Amino acid sequence: MKQANRAGRFFLVPALLIIAFVLLFPIIQTIVLSFGRNSTSIFYDYEFAGLANYQRLLRTPRFITALNNTILFTAVTVPIELVIGIGLALVLNRQFRGKGLVRMAVLFPWALPTALNALMWRWMFNTEFGLFNSILTDTGLAVERVNWLGAIPIAMASMMFVSIWKTSSFMALLLLAGLQTIPDDLYEAGSVDGATRWTAFRHLTLPLLRPAIMVSVLLRTMDAMRTFELPFNLTDGGPLTSTETLSLYSYRAIFQYVNFNLGSSAIIIQFIIIMAISIVYIVTLRRADQ
Amino acid sequence: MTSAKGIFGANRRPAGFTESRKKSSRGFYAVAALTVIVSFFPTVWLFLTSIKEEADIYAWPVVYLPQPATLENYVNIATETPELLRFILNSAIVATTTTVVILACGGLAGYSLGRLTYRGRNLILILILAMSMFPPLALLPSLFSMFLDLRLINTYPGLIIGHTGLYLPIAIWILSNFFQTVPREIEDAARVDGASSLRIFWSIILPLSVPGLISTGLIVFVFSWNEFPLSLVLMSDNFMRTAPVGISLFPGEYSFPWEIISAATVLTILPILVISGVFQDRLIGGLTAGSGK
Repeated sequence: MKQANRAGRFFLVPALLIIAFVLLFPIIQTIVLSFGRNSTSIFYDYEFAGLANYQRLLRTPRFITALNNTILFTAVTVPIELVIGIGLALVLNRQFRGKGLVRMAVLFPWALPTALNALMWRWMFNTEFGLFNSILTDTGLAVERVNWLGAIPIAMASMMFVSIWKTSSFMALLLLAGLQTIPDDLYEAGSVDGATRWTAFRHLTLPLLRPAIMVSVLLRTMDAMRTFELPFNLTDGGPLTSTETLSLYSYRAIFQYVNFNLGSSAIIIQFIIIMAISIVYIVTLRRADQ
Repeated sequence: MTSAKGIFGANRRPAGFTESRKKSSRGFYAVAALTVIVSFFPTVWLFLTSIKEEADIYAWPVVYLPQPATLENYVNIATETPELLRFILNSAIVATTTTVVILACGGLAGYSLGRLTYRGRNLILILILAMSMFPPLALLPSLFSMFLDLRLINTYPGLIIGHTGLYLPIAIWILSNFFQTVPREIEDAARVDGASSLRIFWSIILPLSVPGLISTGLIVFVFSWNEFPLSLVLMSDNFMRTAPVGISLFPGEYSFPWEIISAATVLTILPILVISGVFQDRLIGGLTAGSGK
């Protein structure tokens, strides 16, 4: 039987080869490139430049702006998504007629391609012919048409809105999994004690949901910190660079300004920040638990 | 979330479940209805745009309903901009092949990591997961220059390998969780009969794991269909682009040609709409098994 299990290691080989080729090696190479100068590969023409790229980035106002944009975007969207996500998860955790439709309604925004979703919203935000301006002026809520994507700071708010619309559902699905692990008899015991819905939610659901909340907030934070397609297709990072995220900045550094090394170091800084936030977050919560 | 049934949503709650909470109030239904409306209106608006005549699309005041509805924009895609159909075909080829390759490699690996016992198993699983935490963008500069050297840019195998690497970790994670839930007794009995690991995997574990494979396959398909950064960089030739990238970069003469874009986008999200409608249980089950632990 042991021998059979040992043979099982070979089952890993195809997967590990692909992962090494597509994930492990490129990640290592990106790290090495971030310390290089005028190099696109570590196999030829590699010139070591030390921390030069990192120093240059930290002195580049545009990079700092992208960093601030990304942090602001994450700090605003994730908490709002959490609140909406909890609401949606509570709705989905009940049995009612038409549940299938509501569940599809929650699943659908998650399943939409982010890039095309951004285009759909860009069309609705369109200043001249867009749905939103039409509704606002038809109902008399606004006299002038609003430039949703072309003015500071409303472009950032519009982008946040689209992100919240799309990813609250992902939050809801993760939280729903947590809700379903809470046994119903707990609520029954609670209702015998005369607990109202709100107290049951406050003192039963929320504490028991805590692990699921932690996981979903962490996953969403990491995801929001690397937002790329949304500004790429909704605002193109503009106006000026007011909606340019770290990922969009890195992409442009690499492929538009063709500086692989500077772009790589931007990505590595981004990764370090994501890791730091995750670690601080996990440690703080652990400490709060004790 | 430890039982197979729990994870994959196969078990319904007992019939008598919380009778007192069953009576849903009007307020509750209002919230549910609002959710449905808010979630579908962008797609509905896009669809309405796609069946309007061009003059009605660029009109102020906005023409809300198509008058009359026309399939002109869809016909125009087929006759004037066939590259948009090519984009969708490219997406279909890449997403389907990626799904098959991931299920094959990820199935074997997930079985090995989720079911067999040997030293270093957990460590490997954790390392694989940790690697998927890197932002996909971190792969771009390296993958681009590697694939350029290997002549994999603008080829189907290139992007398929890229997508496979990107989503293999999450697939292995979901599948290994699932394989853990297949009853061990059946496997042990086969082992006593002298069946090899590969044979057990093929004729016992796989047939029992069809629901898990379907869930994982659907999730991977949706991910690959929607993937953007890698597809953007690894396919730069206009005829090799996938649908999300090709539509995003579609050039307009003066401005973005919304009449064509809306129709092409509707065609591209149609499979997603069908999948999230028909296979909701499977998708939700697989997703929560993957991240809910």
